Amino acid sequence: MQSLAPLAAFLYAAEGSLMTRIVVGISLFLAVTIIASVVRYWFFRFRIGDDRIRIREGVFNKKQLDIKFDRIQAINTEQNFIYRRFGLVNVTFDTAGSAKEEGHLPAVPNELAESLQARIRREAPLRADTAEGADAEPPSSRRRLLTLGSSDIVRVGIADNRALVFLLLLGPLSEQIDERIGDVVNDRAEAYFESLQLGLLGGIALLAAIVFAVVAILVLASIVGAFLRYHRFVLVADEDVLRSTGGLLTRHEHSIRFNKIQSLLVRQHVMRRFMGRFEMRARQASSGSGGRRDFKIPLLAADLVATLKSEVFGDELPDADLDPRSAEFRALHPQYRRSRILLAGVLPALLAAATLAMPLGWFSLLLLLWIPIAALFVTVLYRKSGYQVRPDGIVLRRGFFGYRMTAFLHRKVQRISLTQTVAQARRGVATLRFYLASGSVKLPYIDHALATRLRDYVLFRVESSRKAWH
Amino acid sequence: MFENPEIDFDALPNVDEVQWRSMDPKLIRYHVTGMAITLAIVAAGIGVFQGVVGGIFGADISVGYLWALLPVIAVPGFAWPFLSVPRMGYALREHDILYKSGVFWRTVTAVPFNRIQHVEKSSTPLDRRFQIASLQIFTAGGSGGDLQIHGLP
Repeated sequence: MQSLAPLAAFLYAAEGSLMTRIVVGISLFLAVTIIASVVRYWFFRFRIGDDRIRIREGVFNKKQLDIKFDRIQAINTEQNFIYRRFGLVNVTFDTAGSAKEEGHLPAVPNELAESLQARIRREAPLRADTAEGADAEPPSSRRRLLTLGSSDIVRVGIADNRALVFLLLLGPLSEQIDERIGDVVNDRAEAYFESLQLGLLGGIALLAAIVFAVVAILVLASIVGAFLRYHRFVLVADEDVLRSTGGLLTRHEHSIRFNKIQSLLVRQHVMRRFMGRFEMRARQASSGSGGRRDFKIPLLAADLVATLKSEVFGDELPDADLDPRSAEFRALHPQYRRSRILLAGVLPALLAAATLAMPLGWFSLLLLLWIPIAALFVTVLYRKSGYQVRPDGIVLRRGFFGYRMTAFLHRKVQRISLTQTVAQARRGVATLRFYLASGSVKLPYIDHALATRLRDYVLFRVESSRKAWH
Repeated sequence: MFENPEIDFDALPNVDEVQWRSMDPKLIRYHVTGMAITLAIVAAGIGVFQGVVGGIFGADISVGYLWALLPVIAVPGFAWPFLSVPRMGYALREHDILYKSGVFWRTVTAVPFNRIQHVEKSSTPLDRRFQIASLQIFTAGGSGGDLQIHGLP
């Protein structure tokens, strides 16, 4: 894009009529784009070795990437409708490093991408068991787990409508916004309505119609977005690889090896709760990429959640239950509720009431109404929090409107911290935090004895495990 | 041969039973010196500001109350190291490194050696003056220094 700056400057300075300028501009733009891509193509080289892939690129800034196959977390391919014509795909390799250092192969033939995927799939068994022989093609055991039909994708679109939620939250505020904009628009709008001879009722009807139209457009846009991303979404388990394909204009294909999955995140927000469906993310090692590289499954039923759990964790978490309503979840220590109500409810309310007592007088006591509201919030949070401790891993649950479950294996833990505030120490509770390569998870307010025991046990598992975490 | 004996929870090594090593006692003096330097800079800043304001507005505007900032910073600043440093500690076990810290929030962090990606040792000029150093331990998936131990001899 920066290369276009001189072009713009040239056009600005150039003589001639508007028409010639536009024509010259467009042809120059095309020429620059074509030359740039040819040069880029010319300097792009890659080689696939036995255990690694080397990529060299760059005209002035030479860049060389060397990625070992067993360091690749996941392979993603993207095929837009032009590429589909020519049988080409864009390939991206997820490594645990930063997003900048990611390997990227633009426009390679379909077959090459497929062979790369097959290769990465074969990498693990090969190392574990060299006696088998490298040439033996492992018997393919593809299991199709999920296909999303059109109605499912409509559901995804409706469920993902964050704009709608935002709008609903905005509802009570809209009066104030109205007033602000009103100052500017009102005069004209009023004149317009008057000319239309609309009464108050008509005005309300019109407003309702506008709101309805906006909501309908937002929902529609979100459904279209869901179709663009998830059209003909298919989820397949192939050996130890999870693969998803989907997309309308651009087909996205993601593959991730089970053992590269650091944790499973299962979510159920309000809309999905109505539908009785879940959303799942398989999280891989990342350095603060904020979930961009999660392997996402947008809509799945409870039985598939259980299936995927056993596929991903194998025989390591057999008795963990990812159903949010499972009776297996243990509650946090009741102290959680008390201290949160104190910290989020009582203290701020008293403080605000005390500071505003002068200007507001007795009205400042109304601020104390915050205490029961906060208590209600905290109670909901407390009820929805829970945990399951298993010999090989942990499942955590939390949520407010919906549920959010995180499951991980002990051996994937990178480090652990145990925190006690002075008040917690007095009550014999503690907060455990597990740091995984995919981010940290917190187990707040559990019995101190349990926390220390769990920490010592997980440390023991991490330090004695012979399986790699990555 | 693969064996899978039952785990005796009470026999597991307990983190809290280790012999904690305290930080270098020079760390308190280090923090106090650092605080003194900060205060000197703040005082110089206030002085310059007062001079400038006085030069422009004369005696109309007084910024003398800014000097009240100094004790507000100084009292907790000088007291804090005496509270926090004695509560810090570290320990090395055969398979992991432990670090505890915190006055109000007391945290014990354990990093298994087989999860460490790399370590970084650094020392500022003031560190070198006091002959202490800082060790940063990086594990996968974290951003920035995952565990920083400051005040090692």
